[in-house]
Amino acid sequence: MKTNKIDAKDLINVGIFTVLYFIMFFISGMLGYIPIFALLIPLLIGILGGIPFMLFVTKTNKFGCVTLMGTIAGILCFLVGQSWISIPFGIVFGFLGDIIMKTGDYKSWGKTVIGYAVFTDWVIGSMLPMWIMRDVFFEQSSKQVSGEYLDALMGYTQNWMLPVVMVLGLVGGIIGAYLGRAVLKKHFERAGIV
Amino acid sequence: MQLFQGGSVHTFLKIDPRTKLFLLLVVNIIMINGSTAGAAAIYKPILACLPFVLLLTGKRIVAAFVYGIIFAMAWVTDQYLSGYLSGGINIVIALVSGLSTRWLPCGMMGYYLMATTRVSEFVAGMEKMHVSQKIVIPLSVMFRFFPTVSEESGAINNAMRMRGIRVGGGKGGVIAIFEYRIIPLIMSTVKIGDELSAAALTRGLGGEVKRTNFCSIGFGMWDILMFLLGTVFIALYFLL
Amino acid sequence: MGYINVPFRNSVYSAVLSAVMEDKMVSIDNVSFTYGRGECDNGLKEIGLEIKKGETVLICGESGCGKTTLIRLINGLIPHYYEGKLSGGVLLKGKQIHKLPIYETAKYVGSVFQNPRSQFFNVDSTSELAFGAENRGLEYNEIEKRVIQTAEMFKMEELLDRSLFQLSGGEKQKIACASVSVCEPDIMVLDEPSSNLDITATEELKKMIGIWKAQGKTIIISEHRLYYLKDLIDKVVYMQEGEVSKTFSGDEFRDLSVSAMQSMGLRPLELEDVVKSKMISLPTGGAELKLVDFEYSHKKGGRDALKFSDELVLPKGNSIVIIGHNGAGKSTFATCLCGLIKKFKGVVKDDKVLKNKERLSKFYMVMQDVNHQLFAESVLEEVLLSMDKPDNKTAEEILSSLDLLEFKELHPMSLSGGQKQRVAIASALASGREYIILDEPTSGLDMKHMKEVAQNIRSLINTGKTVFIITHDIELIIECGTRVVHLEKGEVRDSYVLDQKGIKKVWKFFQDSREDNVY
Repeated sequence: MKTNKIDAKDLINVGIFTVLYFIMFFISGMLGYIPIFALLIPLLIGILGGIPFMLFVTKTNKFGCVTLMGTIAGILCFLVGQSWISIPFGIVFGFLGDIIMKTGDYKSWGKTVIGYAVFTDWVIGSMLPMWIMRDVFFEQSSKQVSGEYLDALMGYTQNWMLPVVMVLGLVGGIIGAYLGRAVLKKHFERAGIV
Repeated sequence: MQLFQGGSVHTFLKIDPRTKLFLLLVVNIIMINGSTAGAAAIYKPILACLPFVLLLTGKRIVAAFVYGIIFAMAWVTDQYLSGYLSGGINIVIALVSGLSTRWLPCGMMGYYLMATTRVSEFVAGMEKMHVSQKIVIPLSVMFRFFPTVSEESGAINNAMRMRGIRVGGGKGGVIAIFEYRIIPLIMSTVKIGDELSAAALTRGLGGEVKRTNFCSIGFGMWDILMFLLGTVFIALYFLL
Repeated sequence: MGYINVPFRNSVYSAVLSAVMEDKMVSIDNVSFTYGRGECDNGLKEIGLEIKKGETVLICGESGCGKTTLIRLINGLIPHYYEGKLSGGVLLKGKQIHKLPIYETAKYVGSVFQNPRSQFFNVDSTSELAFGAENRGLEYNEIEKRVIQTAEMFKMEELLDRSLFQLSGGEKQKIACASVSVCEPDIMVLDEPSSNLDITATEELKKMIGIWKAQGKTIIISEHRLYYLKDLIDKVVYMQEGEVSKTFSGDEFRDLSVSAMQSMGLRPLELEDVVKSKMISLPTGGAELKLVDFEYSHKKGGRDALKFSDELVLPKGNSIVIIGHNGAGKSTFATCLCGLIKKFKGVVKDDKVLKNKERLSKFYMVMQDVNHQLFAESVLEEVLLSMDKPDNKTAEEILSSLDLLEFKELHPMSLSGGQKQRVAIASALASGREYIILDEPTSGLDMKHMKEVAQNIRSLINTGKTVFIITHDIELIIECGTRVVHLEKGEVRDSYVLDQKGIKKVWKFFQDSREDNVY
């Protein structure tokens, strides 16, 4: 008897799939220790995260689950020492993803892809400080710091990089959605865990 | 029993999880965002000592000292040396130390929280803050599942090695590794999750009654001290 | 989903009915059920069953007969969690539970499942005991009182306040039982609760069931392993293909002959009968495997460590049964032997020394938890994956010998637990490796499939392979074992041939385990 209210089983699924999603995040994030590649994280997490995410929305497909996942992911990010901005970003982008998928009644494939792509951009929240701090850093250190270092830093965090990174997230999400669906069909559905 | 499994949960300081969250927030706001000049050059390193001290009270001696040393090096590099560094590797060093001075204290604060708080305490803290069950339950499940996923991953890895599915050579190549590690992991985790859901439901989860919590937490002397400390730093941050 | 074709009953009528039904705890009236999605257990066909208050009922039958489905009907998981078409009524103390949400049914029925690892919601044992009570919104003091009472009742005070990840399977199952007990439901249902437990833990389980029985609870257990319930049963329901085929009173069941039990496909009630039965011929041949310096521990002073004081010499071409209590070092022995542990320094000598890496390709281990080792998209693929030279014909022969041919195109993870176990064993057979290690291969299997596995083991040793079997399934040991290695606290307590004398020794170990209560 399926209702549209989120029940205990859905909440448990949110917990489990956030763990799986977060592991994908962790794998992608390992590249982030090399400052340049940090900008590629949204692309990677979009792709890898698609696998657990597609299974997740198939199992839950109720309004609110994606929002919750974004929120919990944001909280977890905060707990491991990422910026607190991850939490509002998680909530907002989770919500956006949820709304988009809801317009397709959780059945439209196209809306699911877009919804997931938008959701993926929540990770920008943890990276946002790099842009915020850049201005502060620049202003305070232009006195002491040598040209080369400054140039390099500025180069990596140009203002226009932010939209680029967001687009990377969207692209990653789209790829990830298709990847997730392929895995869903090849394995998960046939294994009966859907 | 703690959020982050491994090692004892005993601390010399008994601090309520809500206080720890507050301190994490304080460190998070101040260390990541602010500048490192002027007054910040003084209060930031002092604040950075907080995770160090807390880790010591939590008996995480090695972690505390490793953190202390790395942070000190990063701070010094960032404040005094990076102006003089040039050339490829040096730029990377400069960049890394700059980033470390900002993120490392937060990471260590987070580690302190996770290593010294029991899951039941954390959940109790959240419930006392009137956080919805819709957040609390997934969080509990999450903390319960991290060790499980770790165990499953290890076991799957063993099975893979034994059947000859290895990186390079062996059967299949890189995509295969992915397919043979991640997919079985997800399937096995989801199966456990389904069984867990069934079991939890038969024990009354999901009822309309408000859940109670069998874990007692509360504010004590140290909490008040920590709150004051945190407030002082926040004030410094906003006023200076 | 979940249509109910029960005639309308108005509230007065049902109140009267409740009063009359009080004595009948569980009343299943002409219930049929088919699963919405293909599940491996059969549905139910027009089942009618009545269970009185305080009875301890055993539900038995071959795999897939519908035992688990029946249990799920009683605890409310059907039709709310496992969807499908349901007709007929299920009454618990006069209440129609198929209409109630699961959390309501939970007030009357406590459930214990077969996998200790996937039942716990919390990370520490005390919180787990309190879980059910918390869900009901009981006050702190009340919860504390009940938790302490329950711990005392089951004599498990030392299990309180511990991390669930560090407990053994038997200890976890104890916590699971106690946790359900805290809420004091009138009815307990248990679905193959001893599947993943060793002999000692099964005895502990038996004691807990005994305590519930003494409290007057109505207990319904579905099981393959019957021996430990022999004295507790009041009534037996034998199912076949979704129907209740026969019912017996406890005494009638205890009086059944060995051949009658066998013809029903049931494991024996009295294990001594098994022990007295036939023996296989022991293989001859002198090739030996020498195990030297077998010492290893995962953590300092950890459980399940290995410390052999002497070298162990074992004959090849045998099926070597490894027995021992929990924590004796059996699993560590297996993982070290097959080369999985890189840091292991012990020496394994065939004709020449076999290093860790070499052993990885000569040994094949089938692990206890089958979900960790199935990687392919179809059962056939799974078997082919093990072969150096994939060959469909051989693969199909192997599948057929384990009664799996009909599943060859299905995804391995969609099969039932027992079927998956057999697929894992099929992969081992297909690998063609010289040494095979099986860790609890028959833990959830019914008699027919256990015998199939035994048959396969016998053919393996006939072709000269050496099979190590970690098991506490005495029937399996009798069916196909030729040698026993008894481990205790990391040491080799004994190593002997499974002749008449050897059988007596194994039987003694088994009986002692039932009295010891040593973990």
